[in-house]
Amino acid sequence: MPSLAELIDHGIKAFTRGLHGDAERYWREALEIDPGNARVKGYLSQLESATPAEAGPARRAAPPGAPAQAAPPGPARKAPPVVPAQEFAPSPWDDGPALQATIVLESEGGLDLSAISEKSDLRPLVPDPATTPAPRPAAPKTDVDVWMEGARELFALGDFSGSLEMIEKILKIDAGHVEARAYLRQNESTLVSMYESKLGSLANVPRLAIKPEEVMWLNLDHRAGFLLAQIDGSVNFEDLFALSGLPRLDTARILAQLLADGVIRGGAQ
Amino acid sequence: MSEVEPFIGIDLGTTNSVVATVMDGVPRVINGRAGQVLTPSMVAVAKNGKRLVGQIAKRQAITNAENTVFAAKRLIGRRWGSKEVEDARKVLPYQVAPGPEGHDVRVVIGGRTLAVPEVSAMVLSELRADAEAFFGRRVHKAVVTVPAYFNDGQRQATKDAGRIAGLDVIRIINEPTSAALAYGFGRQMEKKVVVFDLGGGTFDVSVLDIGKSVYDVVAVGGDTYLGGEDFDRRIMDWLVFSFAKENGGIDLRQDKMALQRLKDASERAKIELSAATSAGIHLPFLASAGDGKSALHMERQLGRDKLEELSKDLVDRCIQVAEKTLRDAGVRPSQVGEVLLVGGMTRMPRVQQAVRDFFGREPSRGVHPEEVVALGAAIQAHSLLYPQKDRDVLLLDVTPQNLGLLVVGGYFTTVIPRNTTVPTSQTHIFTTVQDDQTQARIVVLQGESEKATDNEMLGEFVLSGIRPARRGDVEIEVAFEISADGIVSVSARDLETGLRQSITVTATSGLTEEELRRILDERMDEVLELKQSGELERRRDKAQGIILEIEALVPAVQAALQKSRFGKDAVQKAEGVMARARAAIEAGDLHQLAAIEEQLDRTLQLFKGLAGGASAPPGEA
Repeated sequence: MPSLAELIDHGIKAFTRGLHGDAERYWREALEIDPGNARVKGYLSQLESATPAEAGPARRAAPPGAPAQAAPPGPARKAPPVVPAQEFAPSPWDDGPALQATIVLESEGGLDLSAISEKSDLRPLVPDPATTPAPRPAAPKTDVDVWMEGARELFALGDFSGSLEMIEKILKIDAGHVEARAYLRQNESTLVSMYESKLGSLANVPRLAIKPEEVMWLNLDHRAGFLLAQIDGSVNFEDLFALSGLPRLDTARILAQLLADGVIRGGAQ
Repeated sequence: MSEVEPFIGIDLGTTNSVVATVMDGVPRVINGRAGQVLTPSMVAVAKNGKRLVGQIAKRQAITNAENTVFAAKRLIGRRWGSKEVEDARKVLPYQVAPGPEGHDVRVVIGGRTLAVPEVSAMVLSELRADAEAFFGRRVHKAVVTVPAYFNDGQRQATKDAGRIAGLDVIRIINEPTSAALAYGFGRQMEKKVVVFDLGGGTFDVSVLDIGKSVYDVVAVGGDTYLGGEDFDRRIMDWLVFSFAKENGGIDLRQDKMALQRLKDASERAKIELSAATSAGIHLPFLASAGDGKSALHMERQLGRDKLEELSKDLVDRCIQVAEKTLRDAGVRPSQVGEVLLVGGMTRMPRVQQAVRDFFGREPSRGVHPEEVVALGAAIQAHSLLYPQKDRDVLLLDVTPQNLGLLVVGGYFTTVIPRNTTVPTSQTHIFTTVQDDQTQARIVVLQGESEKATDNEMLGEFVLSGIRPARRGDVEIEVAFEISADGIVSVSARDLETGLRQSITVTATSGLTEEELRRILDERMDEVLELKQSGELERRRDKAQGIILEIEALVPAVQAALQKSRFGKDAVQKAEGVMARARAAIEAGDLHQLAAIEEQLDRTLQLFKGLAGGASAPPGEA
C-alpha cells in the first residue's frame, strides 16, 4: 500500500508525462488517505480546470499550490529556448493575451490588416527565406532530452528528488551535460537544505529514541545502519556528516528519515 | 590550585594520548571534554573538509583511510629513507613524502602537505584544549613523554610539536621513567624495574636501574609493530570469515563501512573480555545483501578463551621480546625487583598471566596502565615548577643515547655515554690510521649500535692539514661538549700543531626555524578563524531563535494592532528586520549578524509587549 507521499509523487510524475488520468487516480487515492490534504486538492482542481490543449505535453502548467520553490531555478534560465516548429522571430503574442486590448475594434467592422499593412511598416512576422534556413524536421527526442525535460518540470513542481533521479540518469550517459550538472547542484543544495532544516541545529547531539534491541526490527539499509551505529550521544549532526564518509545529501536524507521515523531524536547541544 | 599556573603531563602515544595534572598534591588524569580518558592520536580531514582530531577521527579512519593520519609517532623526527620510515610506508594507507630538503618526512592529508610535528601538534592541541576546559584557564606548561629509544632529533621534533600547539615543553622525559615515577619508585627503593608497555600499536620493554633520583634506562627492547590493534585485527578476521561462511561468501573487507563497524566492535569486545568471560557483538544492518534484499545483521558471542586462542602467538611474541631484552641487558628475570604493566593491552588476563609466568612474580597493578605514563609526566612537571624539598624526584636532563664517532672498520665509538647529565664535555684521543695521512673525517653519530650505519648521523667535518707522519704517530684530540640547551659541539685538534676544526650540531626535527615560524603564524590565523566561526555559529543560532519567536508572535501582534490606531506598520518593519537577518544568516556574515542582533532583540521585546497586551484580559490592555 503506497503512502500518501508516494501517491502524491506518482501523481506528479504521471502529470508531467501527460498521463492525466493516472495522475487523477493517484491523487484521488491520496485524498482517500488524507481527505483534507490541501496540496492534493489543489492539484486536482487544476487538473479539472485544465483544457486538453493547455494540458498537452507541449505546454504543461504546474498545478496550483506547487511549492513556492516552483519558480524557475537558476539553471533553467540558462536552458536553451524551446525551438518551435518554425523559427519565427519572437513575438509579444507568445506571452499570451495582454490584460488590456491594445486595439479596439470598431463596432461595425474589423481591422483591415491588409489596408494597414499597406499604409504602414506593419508586416506579418514570417521568416525571411534568404536568411532563414529551411525548416528542419524536428529531430526525434533522445532519452536525455526526455529526462532533461522531466527534470526541469519536476524541479519546477518542487519534486527535487524526482528531478535529481532524472539528472543522475542523464549524467550516467553524458557526464559533461552542462544543464544537467547545473540542475544537479541546484537539486542537491535544495534537498540538503530541506533535510538539514528538518534536523534543526547541526550542533545538536542526536540520540537513539528507541531501545537498542528494537533497532533490529527496523527496515534500514546498511548505510543507514552505519549512521545509526555512530549515534551514541557523543557526536553532533555536523560531526556525523564528517564521519559518515557518505555524500552530504545522502547523510542528510538518512538522518532526516531516521528523525521522521522516530528512530532518533534531535537532542540538545 | 587556582592561584598557581596550571600545568600538564602528556603521554603522547602512538595510538592514544593521555593528559594529566597534579591537584592538591594528588596526580590525576584530565578527562576529555566528551568524558574520555584516552584521546586517539589521530588526525583526519573529512570528506566535507572538516578537520577531525581524536575519537572522531578514529571513527572514520577506515572509511576515510587516505586522509586519516595515525601513528605519526613512528615518523616524527625520522629521516626520509631511514629503515623505520620505509617500514612505516609499507603499512600506512596515507601518503608520505620527503620534506623540502629531502631529509625529514611529510604527510599529505586533505590535499595539504604537513610536517609530522604539525600533525602531532594537532593531537597536543586537543589535549591542551581538554586541559583548558578542565582548569577554565589557559595552559602552557607541559612535560611530554617519549620512548626511551628516541634520539635527539625525535625529541626535538616532539618539542616542536608542543611549541606549535602553544605549549611550553619544560621537559621531555622517557616513558618508562615516567611510569616508574608514577609508582613512586625512587623515593622508597633502589632496585631494578622492568616496564612492560603493551600499547595500541607498539610494545616496549625497558629495564630501569632505579636509585635515589637516578632513573637509568639500562636496556630497551620492543617491537614497534605489535600492540592492541593486532589483537583487534584477529577478532576482525574471525568475524569476517565466519560472516562469509554463513552468508554465501560475502567479504566484509570489501565494504569500508562494515569494516569500520567491525573494527570498533572488535576493540569494544576485546576490552570487555578483560573483565568478562564473554562479549556480545551485535551489528544490525551491517552489510548489503544485494538485489534489493534486506541488509544483513551480525550477531556473535566471543568468549575470552576464543580471544586467547586467536591471539596466543601475539602474547608469546611479547614474552620472547621481553626475554631478549633482559638477556641483552644481562639481567635475569629473578633479579627484577618490580614489573610495571603499562598500556591498555596489559589489562588482558592472558597477558598478565604470561608476565607472571615469565618473571615469576606478581606484576604491579596499582596505577591504571593507560594513565600511568601521563601521571608520571604530571608529577615531573609539578616537581619542576613547584619543587618541594625531600618530597620530589627531580629528573636530570640526560643524553638519551650514546654520542660518538665513526672509527675505522665502520664501527662506532662512544665519547659521551647515554644518561650522562647535561651540560657535559668529554675528550678522546684518536690517532691516524694510515702513513702520511693528512686528513681525518670526523663523523658525529648518535645511537646504541656498534655499527656506525645503524646509528643516526648528526654531522661531519674534515680535519685537514695534518702533518705527514707514520700511522699512529699523530694524535688528534676530539672534544664533545653538550650545552644545557642540548647543543652539541665537536672539535678536533692536532695535539702537536694545534690545528683545529669544529662543528656545532643542534638536534633538529627537520623543520627549519623559518618553517616553524610560518606554521605558528598559520596556527594563529586558524585559531582566530575558529573563534570567529564559533562566534558566527552562536550569533546565527541566536538570530534564528529570535526570528522564530517573532514569527510565532505575529498573529497576536496583528490582532493587537487592529485594536490600535498606532503602529500599523510594526509587522512590516519586523518583516524587514527579519529579512535582513535571514540574509546575514544565509551569507554567514558575522558583522551583519552582529549589527542586526540589537534590532531583532528590540523587535522581539516590542512584539512581546504588543502580544501580551492583546492577550491580556479585557480591561487590562
